[in-house]
Amino acid sequence: MLLFEHVSKWYGPVIGVNQVTLELRPGITGLVGCNGSGKSTLLRLAAGQLRPDLGRVTICGRHAWEVQGKRHIGYCPELDTFYEEMSGRRFVEVMARLCGFAARQARQRTQEILRLVGMADRAEGRLRGYSKGMRQRIKLAQALLHDPELLLLDEPLSGIDPIGRRESLDLFLELARRGKCLLVSSHELEELEKLTDHVAIMARGRIAAVGTLTHIRDLLDNHPLSIRIECEEGRRLAAALLDLEDVAGVDLHDGDMLVVRARNPRRFFEQLTGLVLEEAFDVRHLETLDDSTHAILGYLLGKQSVTR
Amino acid sequence: MATDGGKDGSPVTLSPCHLVTLSPGRAWRYLVWISWQRQARAHLMVWIALGLLAFMTFIVALVSPRAWDWRNWRSPPRRGLSHAQWLDNVKSAQAGLPLDPAATAVLHATSAAWQAALQDPSAVRRAGFTRFSEVIVFSIFTTFLLPLWSLSFATEAIGREREDHNLLWLLTRPLSRPAIYLAKYLAVLPWALGLNLGGFVLLCLAAGEPGRLALQSYWPAVLWGTLAFSALFHLMGALFRRAAVVAILYAFFLETVAGNLPGYWKRASISFYTRCLMLAPAQDPVEPAAAWCVLAGLTVGLLALGMVVFARSEYLDLS
Repeated sequence: MLLFEHVSKWYGPVIGVNQVTLELRPGITGLVGCNGSGKSTLLRLAAGQLRPDLGRVTICGRHAWEVQGKRHIGYCPELDTFYEEMSGRRFVEVMARLCGFAARQARQRTQEILRLVGMADRAEGRLRGYSKGMRQRIKLAQALLHDPELLLLDEPLSGIDPIGRRESLDLFLELARRGKCLLVSSHELEELEKLTDHVAIMARGRIAAVGTLTHIRDLLDNHPLSIRIECEEGRRLAAALLDLEDVAGVDLHDGDMLVVRARNPRRFFEQLTGLVLEEAFDVRHLETLDDSTHAILGYLLGKQSVTR
Repeated sequence: MATDGGKDGSPVTLSPCHLVTLSPGRAWRYLVWISWQRQARAHLMVWIALGLLAFMTFIVALVSPRAWDWRNWRSPPRRGLSHAQWLDNVKSAQAGLPLDPAATAVLHATSAAWQAALQDPSAVRRAGFTRFSEVIVFSIFTTFLLPLWSLSFATEAIGREREDHNLLWLLTRPLSRPAIYLAKYLAVLPWALGLNLGGFVLLCLAAGEPGRLALQSYWPAVLWGTLAFSALFHLMGALFRRAAVVAILYAFFLETVAGNLPGYWKRASISFYTRCLMLAPAQDPVEPAAAWCVLAGLTVGLLALGMVVFARSEYLDLS
């Protein structure tokens, strides 16, 4: 649906996006990376607000820059300005009219979308008086008006209260279920993880990794996965684990708690399962410590991983 | 997805909008309409333009009709005697000086012709019209007020959207960029024409009879000048972040100063061609037909150039 082919974009001597090749299919993809990594540039290229200096960006086979491409795009920018003198309802209705809806259809569609984003009963006030969360919802509403196949969401959860976040996440999941393609840029990594495990990680204008978190984590050979295991016979389990080929090390704490560093997580878990069943270890607790988006970002980006 | 919920508490669902027809033509017409409405929100430049209009109208009303009556013109200007005073002096000389009959006859004939001319309503009207044209229309209106009033609206059309970062909302709609540019220009025109033609009407009415003659003769030139100036300043809005500042500099240096220079420099100014469409243009005029062609060509050419520029521009300041 969204295809970047060897796309590069410069801002004068500074490179914003460097030789990016990326294909997105229906579903949700998280776009993560530290500040200045090129996330917003990538989204603006996809939204047809920037033209690539090299390569091309297409949406459903159409250039993103062209009007045919824009018909497929709903863009929710990070930018926080509106026609401030308008009410939220009026703004969304104007945007609907500018999409080509007739007046009556635009009113109906506006009402429908405002209900969808939870603003139907509080969209009459002027936009300049709205909270950050309400403004986010209005931004989201205008992006959904023409039922686009591709939704580009730049920090859509920023400023939204916890209940609103839950609703927004539900909405995104529902849209993905309907076959929409969502590219969500967010610094809220924990929230993003609730939404999707498919991420594109950007660093210095490049796509450092793309795929599911599990897949990306598996590829990080030089950063063994840390797994905490609580077991009655901690020492015996530690000794057995050290015999496994993929175990890089075991730290034993208080006799019954181990932290294992495993190189090939998929194979390690198969071996661990076999070991536990064969030796009848009483494993009370097992959790992975560093397969979160944040941890993976940290391994991939090093000191840059602080995303705010 | 459940958010506000339906009236019966049921989840709200998003219906696919392919059930309705989205018309680009309808969207474009609405853009013209909404842009026209938003132009009504007067900004600083418009207030300045309105202030200048009020000031000029007051000045013209103050000096009218005395300033346009050639009996009151002085020679040399401002310091000398008026024509009526010269005539009185000539008559006094005839009465007081011991002249021979031949000289007296010549003086009589001269003063009679002079008096006849000063009292001929048609000649007085023509002279007043000429003076009003030179002092107000050519020197002030076409070279200063017309460009300034035009830029007060035309630079705002895209320039204001850029400054307020709202242009993004238009650029993300499924409308082509040239169409957006053209819609913005059309939305500006009623305001620019209203201010320029309306302002011109006010100035002319304040001037009395010479003004009414000027209005009948010059309004087409004002119309074409407005179209060309608006196209130029609209382009500046698409090109420059601080379009109003650039346009003011242009209006002052190129239109007001260069437009009044002798030689070919003035041909680089739109106000020169506007004056050439009027009855008594500047020095070295071009034919009115040629001036009309230049103004029409400039309007169309600048619009086309603006559409290309706007279609290719990336507005990095919108993020």
